[in-house]
Amino acid sequence: MHTAIRISGIAALALAALAGPRLAAADQPLFDVTVLAGACANCHGTDGRSPGSIPSIAGRPEVALKQQLLAFKSDTPPAGTTVMGRLVKGYSDEQLSALAKHFSQISKTPAAQEVAKQ
Amino acid sequence: MSQSMKFSRRQWLTTVGKASAAGAVLLAAPAFARGAGKVVVVGGGFGGATAAKYIKRRNPAIDVTLVEPAKTYYTCPFTNLYFGGLRTFEQQGHNFDELRSMGVRVIHAFASGVDADKKTVTLKGGDTLSYDKLLLAPGIDFRWNALEGYDEAASKLAPHAWKAGEQSKLLKQHLENMRDGGTFVMVAPANPFRCPPGPYERVSMVAHYLKHNKPKSKILILDAKDAFSKQGLFQAGWKRFYGDLIEWVPLSKDGKVVRVDAANLTVETEFGQTHKADVLNVIPPQKAGTIAEIAGVTNESGWVPIKHQTFESERVADIYVVGDATVAAPMPKSGFSANAQAKVAAAAIVNSLAGKPPAEPAFANTCYSLIAPDYGISVAHNYQLKDGKIAEMSGGVSPADANDDFRKLEAEYGVAWYQAIALDTWGTRS
Repeated sequence: MHTAIRISGIAALALAALAGPRLAAADQPLFDVTVLAGACANCHGTDGRSPGSIPSIAGRPEVALKQQLLAFKSDTPPAGTTVMGRLVKGYSDEQLSALAKHFSQISKTPAAQEVAKQ
Repeated sequence: MSQSMKFSRRQWLTTVGKASAAGAVLLAAPAFARGAGKVVVVGGGFGGATAAKYIKRRNPAIDVTLVEPAKTYYTCPFTNLYFGGLRTFEQQGHNFDELRSMGVRVIHAFASGVDADKKTVTLKGGDTLSYDKLLLAPGIDFRWNALEGYDEAASKLAPHAWKAGEQSKLLKQHLENMRDGGTFVMVAPANPFRCPPGPYERVSMVAHYLKHNKPKSKILILDAKDAFSKQGLFQAGWKRFYGDLIEWVPLSKDGKVVRVDAANLTVETEFGQTHKADVLNVIPPQKAGTIAEIAGVTNESGWVPIKHQTFESERVADIYVVGDATVAAPMPKSGFSANAQAKVAAAAIVNSLAGKPPAEPAFANTCYSLIAPDYGISVAHNYQLKDGKIAEMSGGVSPADANDDFRKLEAEYGVAWYQAIALDTWGTRS
């Protein structure tokens, strides 16, 4: 993941440099799913790997994650929903899709992540 | 990185900006061109430790130094469970081993000065650290004597316990020494202050302790405001579990304390009533941690205005501030907020060092409070930018009509939240 960020960082810089100073100085915010996902880690653990009774979300199928998030957002959330209904309503469906994809691509354990990188 | 290297990096970026065929130059650029630089973080709590970790995660080439006096950092969240007898004080402690293993230089010292022009931080003892970006996560300090009679010396007799440490142990000791039939008086502050539901969770946990150990005792909350966080849920829970053990006196019923006599454990209210305590817990008026004042980032309120997209100071360039010290309303001053803000600031710092614009920020906050064992409540919000300002996008408190299974689940999630955020912040498992 770090490698990907660094490469995309270089790519963006290269693009900015080629396009001249105007683009480099632009104040347009970037969409970065890792920033959006940052707030999930407070409860679900770093990278979505939970150390406690709150479910882990790392490495679960994208479709399942998206369905679950949309269910939380709906007017009839799944039985047993506590905070997630309140938290998820403020995200667009696009944001939820991006989060589902992001966490589905993270390995369930850090060890598996290292193997995947090699 | 030396001053001269810092200069050359900037010069290089300027050159890139001007060059028409800079792409070729870029690919051959040295390490610092990939966005490395020198970051100093002051404060090892939820904000500072998280920021240091996430800067390293995003770009390991960045030189990150964390300055925190304590070798073991004790959190305020969950100290209330210690007062309730549900947790030990040691369970509140977190070390910095994970940050060190990631390559963060951790210095156990007190940061006493900031020179924003020279871009240096001075440590007590005289050492100086230079930075390209400085992140302050200083938490709160107290406005001693803003409440007449309540200064640092008074806090030894009437503990605030609003920073975890010796004060927490002192309050616990006072509580354990209290006679059955005594009165625990809490003086609660006006807004804004650290951890809005904190005083009321504390009262719940003290009530739990008293109910089982000193059942003839009372709790009196003298409050400088007329409403508080999760009020309906707290009051319903108090009635159910503690009957009339807890009495809350709001501002409009002469709840505002204007004078403290710590030696005699008495307080005087705005309209002249005197209350005598057996244990006196004064939560005094607060301000941003002193280093923020020294750095010149506070405003007349004593707190730090920040740019909502990045948490960079509105007043001083290249100084970022997160957590309780900031003016980030509607986000509350909580460990959760500090952690969430730190990740946004970390990403903004990493991007800025790489010459990139900041990402669109997103934050959340969930505060769990325990009213009794197996009976938890929460407030949860999702925050994003609206017209450039932090705004609540959704959220709310636990439903008033939730059943006991729901409350039990939220009590469990509270514990799981603490485990997750400790792991996310310090890499510690409790």
